[in-house]
Amino acid sequence: MMLDGATVEVIRSYLVSAAEEMRRTLIRTAFNPVIYEVLDFGISIFDAELELIADAPGLAFFLGANDYAIRKGVAHAGLETLRPGDILIMNYPYWNSAHAADATLFAPVFAPGADRPFAFTCIRAHWMDLGAKDPGYVLDSTDMHQEGLIFPGTRIYRDGAPVSDIIDIIRFNSRMPGPVLGDMEAQVAATRTGIVRLNAILAKFGADAFGEAVTRIKDHSDALVRKALAELPRGSWEADDLVDDDGVSDDPVPIHVRVTIDDDGMTCDFSGSSPAVRGPINIPIGLTETICKFALKSLTTPMQRNNAGSFRALTVIAPEGNLFHAAYPSATYTQWPAHLALELVYKALAQGMPERVAACSGGDTLGFMMIGRSKATGEMYAVSNNEPVGWGGSATHDGINATNHISGSLVRNTPIEVIEMKTGMRMETFGIRPDSGGAGRTRGGVGTERSIRFVEDGEFLSITKRSKERPWSLLGGARPETNELLVRAGTPEQKRVGTYRLPVRTGDRAVARAAGGAGYGIAFERDPGAVLEDVLDGYVTVAAAEREYKVVIAGSRVDEDGTARLRAPTA
Amino acid sequence: MKRYRVAVDIGGTFVDSILFDAETGRTRLAKASTTPDEPARGVLEALTRLGIDLADTELFVHGTTLGLNAVIQRRGVATGIITNAGFRDIFEIGRGDVPAASMYDFRYQRPPAIVPRRYRKGVVGRIAADGSELEPLDEAGVVAAAGELVAAGLRSIALCFLHSYRNPSHEERAAALIRAAFPSVAVSASSAITREYREYERTATAVVDAYINPIFNDYVGRLESGLVDAGFDGKLLIMRSAGGAMTAQTARKAPIYTVLSGPAGGLIGASYLAREIKRDRVLTLDYGGTSLDAAVIEDGEPLVMHEAPLADLPALIPIFDIRCIGAGGGSIAWVQEGLLQVGPHSAGSQPGPIAYGRGGTEPTTTDAAFILGFLDAANFLGGSVELDVAAARAGMAAKVAGPLGIDPTRAAAGIFDVLVARTAGAIREITVERGRDPRDFSMLAFGGAGPMIAPLIAREVENAELIVPQSPAVFSAWGMLMSDVVTDVARTELRPLDDPAEAPVMAAFDELVAQARAALADQASGSVGERIVRLVECRYAGQEHALEVELSDEQPFDTIRARFHALHKQRYGHAIDTAIQVVTLRVRASAVLPKPALPRAAAATGPVSDAMRGQREAFCFARRERIAFAVYDRAALAAGHAFDGPAIVEEGTATTVIHTDQTVTVDDYGHLIIRRRVA
Repeated sequence: MMLDGATVEVIRSYLVSAAEEMRRTLIRTAFNPVIYEVLDFGISIFDAELELIADAPGLAFFLGANDYAIRKGVAHAGLETLRPGDILIMNYPYWNSAHAADATLFAPVFAPGADRPFAFTCIRAHWMDLGAKDPGYVLDSTDMHQEGLIFPGTRIYRDGAPVSDIIDIIRFNSRMPGPVLGDMEAQVAATRTGIVRLNAILAKFGADAFGEAVTRIKDHSDALVRKALAELPRGSWEADDLVDDDGVSDDPVPIHVRVTIDDDGMTCDFSGSSPAVRGPINIPIGLTETICKFALKSLTTPMQRNNAGSFRALTVIAPEGNLFHAAYPSATYTQWPAHLALELVYKALAQGMPERVAACSGGDTLGFMMIGRSKATGEMYAVSNNEPVGWGGSATHDGINATNHISGSLVRNTPIEVIEMKTGMRMETFGIRPDSGGAGRTRGGVGTERSIRFVEDGEFLSITKRSKERPWSLLGGARPETNELLVRAGTPEQKRVGTYRLPVRTGDRAVARAAGGAGYGIAFERDPGAVLEDVLDGYVTVAAAEREYKVVIAGSRVDEDGTARLRAPTA
Repeated sequence: MKRYRVAVDIGGTFVDSILFDAETGRTRLAKASTTPDEPARGVLEALTRLGIDLADTELFVHGTTLGLNAVIQRRGVATGIITNAGFRDIFEIGRGDVPAASMYDFRYQRPPAIVPRRYRKGVVGRIAADGSELEPLDEAGVVAAAGELVAAGLRSIALCFLHSYRNPSHEERAAALIRAAFPSVAVSASSAITREYREYERTATAVVDAYINPIFNDYVGRLESGLVDAGFDGKLLIMRSAGGAMTAQTARKAPIYTVLSGPAGGLIGASYLAREIKRDRVLTLDYGGTSLDAAVIEDGEPLVMHEAPLADLPALIPIFDIRCIGAGGGSIAWVQEGLLQVGPHSAGSQPGPIAYGRGGTEPTTTDAAFILGFLDAANFLGGSVELDVAAARAGMAAKVAGPLGIDPTRAAAGIFDVLVARTAGAIREITVERGRDPRDFSMLAFGGAGPMIAPLIAREVENAELIVPQSPAVFSAWGMLMSDVVTDVARTELRPLDDPAEAPVMAAFDELVAQARAALADQASGSVGERIVRLVECRYAGQEHALEVELSDEQPFDTIRARFHALHKQRYGHAIDTAIQVVTLRVRASAVLPKPALPRAAAATGPVSDAMRGQREAFCFARRERIAFAVYDRAALAAGHAFDGPAIVEEGTATTVIHTDQTVTVDDYGHLIIRRRVA
């Protein structure tokens, strides 16, 4: 049969609605605020071939991580063993494409009486504790077995009933079994929602139409991506960068990518990156694919829903044992290099198409957290926040000021009023840091500075993997200062750090400086009128206007003669 | 008591006015064109067209999205911010996130700033999280900062200090100082509008209020003087975004409460209707020119949220939970790599659908409705608009049907199939997230195009019934006539829900009730009663999302605990044995106004065939082909009439399309009740 393009779109709409309804069910029933506040989950629907046909993404870096996970999970369990009512769990990092705290539940979907599934659902969500070496976050593990209990694709439901032996293992290996099992049930509920809806769609249109529609849906996305790729230059480009350290030593870790665009599509090859390291910053290959999917999507079809066709034009290469293809038993808990690797792909592309990408942002997410005990109740708290960074300038625009890193740009920061209410931190200042955006024809967005006074004792930790190497600029733009934290600020013990953990005392001070974005193009080609506006708003100081942009500002106007003199070519 | 009450709702294209005549018990409608250059003119024109003596009018209720439009179009006044020294960038940084649709856009740009950084000033003075003063307010600094802003030509100043929700004294003092020094400048203090925590959201709330304040005041001023000139000396009420109305005088002090007052009228009407005809669960579907909106009403009350997005800015104001689940009739259909797409682009009202002949060249959902025979081109909007259905069909053939290799009817039906698939999914989401099954709801359809598409959606969602009210096209304006005068006050009061907290919480409620009563006192003339609702917003300790439960005087905290656990179980599927925390106390006080009774329809005296006006060929979605539909005149239908689909009910400004697998009864009030036909 040949479906018309209207019917295919109708079936596509129903599939997307099914994924969205699964998402609502998960958010509605989850226990863990990280699921419903931070959107730390990813929901996907696959066809009988285990190809993605619809999704409801939460965190951007969950985009497509399920694709790799479900293939490995089904292969491990054995397709022929799957029965209606089975739900399986997997969190083996090298298959799951994420650290062990992210638990992926997947299930086959059978039509009534069928002996093979016509679809699969897959829901990944961050669990609060699976018995890793430290509660909360692990910054310094050196092998997988310090990172929690592991499942490779194991039934937690069989024939629609819970497998109590497995659930007991989870219960007795978690520090927080109540919320963890609650979240598992939320994933089960969302899985069942998906199964009901998918069966309703199948019943409404029939198996033949369903099968043809999902093929057409994938082909359609592939066509859109290839059409957009055809507009891009052909070529092959390389880029390098440095990750601060691996969490257990101070040595910077080199990363490298070669990106090729040719008639077959886009290829990202990370073979030139560092081998796997001892600390927990190794990246599973499925996450490496996800990083590249994000880059391809942002270049080609940012407004389209995803399916397997969206990524058919993509090839990702990283040999096993590389930093970007973690192998057992490499530690994988702190996946910050993924933030840097995304922009590394853009850095390579920029050599062939600078006008289509932006210069580097502040580089990664600068996070901080205070752990302490409430004065009023004596209960332990751990409250964290992500600092916004400036984004890079591009051919058409200045980088946006003070915004979360693009790898987590939907996540919101923690209000000062919440931090001050819940913790022993009091903010002395929080605002934009003048001159922190890299100068350029278009400027990097400005970063921020926050001064924190501790008014109770406790523990403080910070995470960034970009406090050493300045963000990269494009076409002669300036490179801004990096992320940094000052602890014991203003005392003889003051120390500049990136990823760090220390006890704090009442009266101590810390300063968090989030980087601006890098500049694009030569700064003294910037329109003096734009420089004036920046000075009037205090994003750029009068001194920096003269030094970086060669624009003389007099009061509230541009000194045209002075500027012309400064900008004149020197004889 | 005077004879008339009127309500006026400004839409994108038309101003709708509706009149209730206490002497006859009847309502009457009129329409005028919207006049964006001077909105008051269109409103006064729509009133004039009702043809009544305004001197004999008791009450005039008005809904307008003037404030919201000013924010969307960035047409407010030049506004500045005064905040704590060292924190002037809170408004710019916000929560650091980008809109979901832009998550892959590495060149994302914020919309133009309403308040550029140069107009944001910090002054010394600091309140701590517990409300204590860490550093006194620098009063001279406040006046100096305001002076700089005024010298720069700003007309309005927003004030927001950290923790002012807990202790507003610095904001109150600063507002007084600025008003004394610069009487011509409008001042909006965040704590005067909302007493809720989160500094960015509170700042944005004050900014929006400041930004629209002078515009709103100019508008209301013109309206008032126009009304006085026309002899009106009754009461002028402005609709609030969360139901109820406020006097124009009160609205002028904080116009932000009115930003979404138009759509609120529809929900007030729907709630009133739900109570009168005894439906516990109602899903409203409002399909007008610009959007398709849905809301849930349970036990006669719509859900109120306490934060609303206004364009790109959050506002901490009470607002009905109305979800936009689709675009309006202007959505453009097109073909992308062989697949039909509907939206996201819209032809809007200019150039509009092809059929309107105003230069539109892209086929829209409205064009599809003409092609399917749902709308009668010869009689559209009572024959007042000339239509070119042939052009719509040609456009559909060229742009959609041809590329898909199907005929224009099939293409038009496909557009509706896509709309229905998406809308049904969105409706499932909004009920599922509340822990409800959508099939347990009665659907209520209004807006000009609501009754046309709702029967298709009800088929898909399997609602037990679909109700089409009288005059669905002006239902929002009608709802305004059913409004009370309402005020909301709230205060964030973080405490564990334990015995020691009971006395202070109850005392805080007493204060809030007194405050709410005081706010109502000078608005309450003509009311016939008072209603006070006290709500406690709580959450499990450690969680972020909170739920509201009603306070009772008997064992208040035990009752809260029980109600909270039960509601949490319903909404989230589980209740847990964890301490509960009080977050925010809310009081809603209403001065109850007398309302017209829901008019009863005359009982049928003849067969339903008397109301039949002929037949029209249209596309039946049950049979998936064009067949003859019986056409009925709504005005001729009477209580007790019943008929089966395929049928079309015409009433000038709205058309109800009933498919072959559906059946209609007319209830005692003249509502069309549409159900699945039992084969």
